[in-house]
Amino acid sequence: MRLAFFVLQFLLILLVCFHDIFSTFSESPTLFPSLLQHFWSQAAEVVATPLGQTLPETSSARHIISAYLNATGIESGYSYFAPNIPDSYKIVFELHYPDGRTEFELPTVSGRATGLRLSTLLDVMGETDYEPLRSMMVKMLAYSVWQKHSEAREVRAVFGYIDLPTPSEFRQGRKQSYHPLFAYDLDFNSTQTQGQ
Amino acid sequence: MSSLTNRLRDFLLTPQSSIWLTILRMGLGLQVLCYGLSLRKDWLELLERENQGVIRRDLTEAILSARSPFIPRVGWIADIGAYLGLSEATVLWAVWTVLMLAALLVVIGLFCRISSVVVWLLYLCTAKSAELFSYGVDNFTIIGLFYLAIGPLPDSAALDAQWRGIPPGNSTLQGLHRRVLQLHICVIYFFGGISKCAGRGWWNGISLWRALTRAPFDIVPPEILIRASFILTLAGILVCVMEATYAIFIWPRKTRFIWFAGVLGMHVGIGLMMGMYLFASVMIVLNLAAFGPGFAFNRSAVSKIGRPNAAGTATLPAKHLSA
Repeated sequence: MRLAFFVLQFLLILLVCFHDIFSTFSESPTLFPSLLQHFWSQAAEVVATPLGQTLPETSSARHIISAYLNATGIESGYSYFAPNIPDSYKIVFELHYPDGRTEFELPTVSGRATGLRLSTLLDVMGETDYEPLRSMMVKMLAYSVWQKHSEAREVRAVFGYIDLPTPSEFRQGRKQSYHPLFAYDLDFNSTQTQGQ
Repeated sequence: MSSLTNRLRDFLLTPQSSIWLTILRMGLGLQVLCYGLSLRKDWLELLERENQGVIRRDLTEAILSARSPFIPRVGWIADIGAYLGLSEATVLWAVWTVLMLAALLVVIGLFCRISSVVVWLLYLCTAKSAELFSYGVDNFTIIGLFYLAIGPLPDSAALDAQWRGIPPGNSTLQGLHRRVLQLHICVIYFFGGISKCAGRGWWNGISLWRALTRAPFDIVPPEILIRASFILTLAGILVCVMEATYAIFIWPRKTRFIWFAGVLGMHVGIGLMMGMYLFASVMIVLNLAAFGPGFAFNRSAVSKIGRPNAAGTATLPAKHLSA
């Protein structure tokens, strides 16, 4: 009984890992020929089936499998920092005051451990394609900053990525640069949000 | 065919001492204590539903519900608290306190089973309810806590065994559970290594350079890193090779210590050079429990397994024990 449970557990781990690696290879540039990208995405779809990911989103079987994977910590694969290291993201808040002053703020947390976690949130924001969700996350983060500067009339949140120089570029004196991706104007007095 | 089945049975059901479980229990208990203490100042900010939080918990939990409504979360505990008339902040601090107390019990090995289940469930709830802030450390801690919660507790060093007189789990079960953890660790490194090998940057040092200069992991100034750029190339290749081949070279006696020490060194490096102390420590704990004493080193500890344990179940020829 116990052995059968572990066999099933191991099968699920392998399926999740294969799904993760096929998805990663289909979405990222790799050493493999680009002709294979179609194969990787098809393989990912095949492996997604026994994991219940092709079932309707309301399916109980899908929910139960997902809950088990999450509860045992095996819901995601292990392709951390692979095959390539992504850019890091940064969000800057411009606080506009009624007297015309502008201050710049970064999201702040108390400890380094939470700081590491905040970078995960910025990665999620950068990789989210669903605009209403991203807008909601930016608004919540901006609101936590605005609460410490509630006299500000308007908050402009600018989200961007940091372009890192390669070692040879760094030797030539190039530093990392910040490139805005999108901006939101937020007015918490009238709770209006406008994305750009 | 029957020979293959016998070999598989021998491989999976080789009796082991409970020292691996002691390492897993104490290591994960300390890991959760460090997790709680390091997030103490931001605990409410990370988990509150009300407006003080950085990202409100209800957004994270709504995303979680879309995946599955059965995934444990802090919202369930907060709802029970609200029913009892407790404020959200009170419930969240109660969760923190119980998590810390249960982790302490796990470390000393008192009421091992119940405390390890409580730690696993509470850690799971908090990690999932703050999933937008979650990274690899949470997955690996949950994996370890799950194996601990279902493991053959107590181990012989736990207070449950020493003080309360509860017999340790039998050695065949110890062997099976350790094998599962060992195989899982092998899968982790194999897939992690293969996916790195597929990236060009891991073979020319660029990926390691980017990993070490990317915020918030930029602990070492790039001016220092650039002076040792040739080491980055070598280290990048070593990481790829060591991870991808871990599942092969951790088993033969001649190579197991090299691969074990190499991987531990890699995690120490990640901790010191990228500031990912909790990530490094959970990986070290999992590796030590899976392949540490009685496997990669300290064979004398293995010879003790042959003695009958308190349950009188462990009698095994020494030749079976070092595999």
